[in-house]
Amino acid sequence: MDRNELKAELKRLVIDGLKLEHVTADQIQDNQPIFVEGLGLDSIDALELVVLVEEKYGVAVPDEDVGKQAFQSINSLADFIAASKA
Amino acid sequence: MNRRRVVITGAGTINALGNGVAAFLEGLRSGRSGIGELTAFDSRGFRTKYAAQVNDLRAPHWIPAALRRRASRSDMLALHATREALTTASFPALPDDAGIVIGATTGGMFGGEEYFRRKFLDQARTRRSNILATPVSTTVDLLAQLLECGGPRLTVSTACSSGANALGIAADWIRTGVTPVVLCGGSDSLCRMTFSGFNALQALDPAPCRPFDRRRAGLTLGEGSAMFVFEDAEHAAARGAKPLAEFLGYGISADAHHITQPRPDGAGAELATRRALEDSGVGIEEIDYINAHGTATVLNDVIETRALHAVFGVRAAKIPVSSTKSMIGHCLGAAGALEALAGILAIRESFVPPTIGLEEADPECDLDYVTEGARSAKVRSVLSNSYGFGGNNTCIILRAID
Repeated sequence: MDRNELKAELKRLVIDGLKLEHVTADQIQDNQPIFVEGLGLDSIDALELVVLVEEKYGVAVPDEDVGKQAFQSINSLADFIAASKA
Repeated sequence: MNRRRVVITGAGTINALGNGVAAFLEGLRSGRSGIGELTAFDSRGFRTKYAAQVNDLRAPHWIPAALRRRASRSDMLALHATREALTTASFPALPDDAGIVIGATTGGMFGGEEYFRRKFLDQARTRRSNILATPVSTTVDLLAQLLECGGPRLTVSTACSSGANALGIAADWIRTGVTPVVLCGGSDSLCRMTFSGFNALQALDPAPCRPFDRRRAGLTLGEGSAMFVFEDAEHAAARGAKPLAEFLGYGISADAHHITQPRPDGAGAELATRRALEDSGVGIEEIDYINAHGTATVLNDVIETRALHAVFGVRAAKIPVSSTKSMIGHCLGAAGALEALAGILAIRESFVPPTIGLEEADPECDLDYVTEGARSAKVRSVLSNSYGFGGNNTCIILRAID
């Protein structure tokens, strides 16, 4: 899967997985922080997204430090998945 | 010692008669039924298709999006009622040490049922966090977080007397100086568990409930919330608040008899009533209106009538007694709070709400159940009864502000 496809898929995962009404994929910028005001997501949403990503891509988020780095934005998440699968 | 007086400075509600106190008042006055066909979930296979449901229920927009997505049905009901209570109390924000106490029995059970149904029956993806609001205690937690209240916080779950007990505890916190302001009430949503449970007990009337009627065959379940701001009378006076009514006192008793049936001799109900009168310092001749527990189960209505005869003697026949459950259904953990609000409205608007659906009185139910429709009356003191499963009896007494 190329990187753009992966990023598009991640945006859909955020929206469908967290059942965000009133949010569309083009509202999520690649470098936009995922867990601040913008999308209105909190720490429980973060935890749920971590599990969704782990299940879907067979990757592991071993601790909070790795998670915080990886889940900063769609770009960093795509990097993390690509690196984990490399 | 001079006991602190407890006044009610704010009130809000949402129930099958509508969203807000004005809609509730209009419904009670016109004897309108909030009972209709259940649509929150599939009622096929149950004894009845009727419920007193709140339609088009959504989480309010004044809470953050993440919390809005996770709010349970019971949370949503409490949020709507709370907002109105704070508005009428003229509290833009509650004091930091304000307490919160809520009566509830189902909490987020409905959302939990939806989660497990989707996951295991439909094999569909569902949000794991949807079950976070399942515990009955999460409604007060959510309110405390949103309102930034650092005072005492409690969820009361004593079956159908939960709402009444929550008000009693709020009054105790104020009387004993724990905190001068308490947000209190009850909130409970319809869910499959209670519907199935009452169905299995054969306690649901296939038709809309008919309290005190000889043909009655059980209750109609409802959902809703009523929330109040209870306040130390001096605290309220100091900030220029205008109280709606006074919470005079309450009484509790336990039947110690059976998991669902009330004591046949009504002694538990009678004891709770006597204790409420004593706690309030009110004589039987002062009670102008009784909001009955009046569930329309075969046992309750006879036993409640018996207990009222025992306490009030010859005066029992002269006091109007009505079951507002005939209009808003039995809202379980919210019932005591909703019925307290009916009592406050009776006091403030000088009327007695009717019992609707009662056409053929049970010979053993021989009180004045206000069957002709709402009645104009000067109402100064109200007794409101709540008798829960397991023999949880609570009676509260409200009075007009002189």
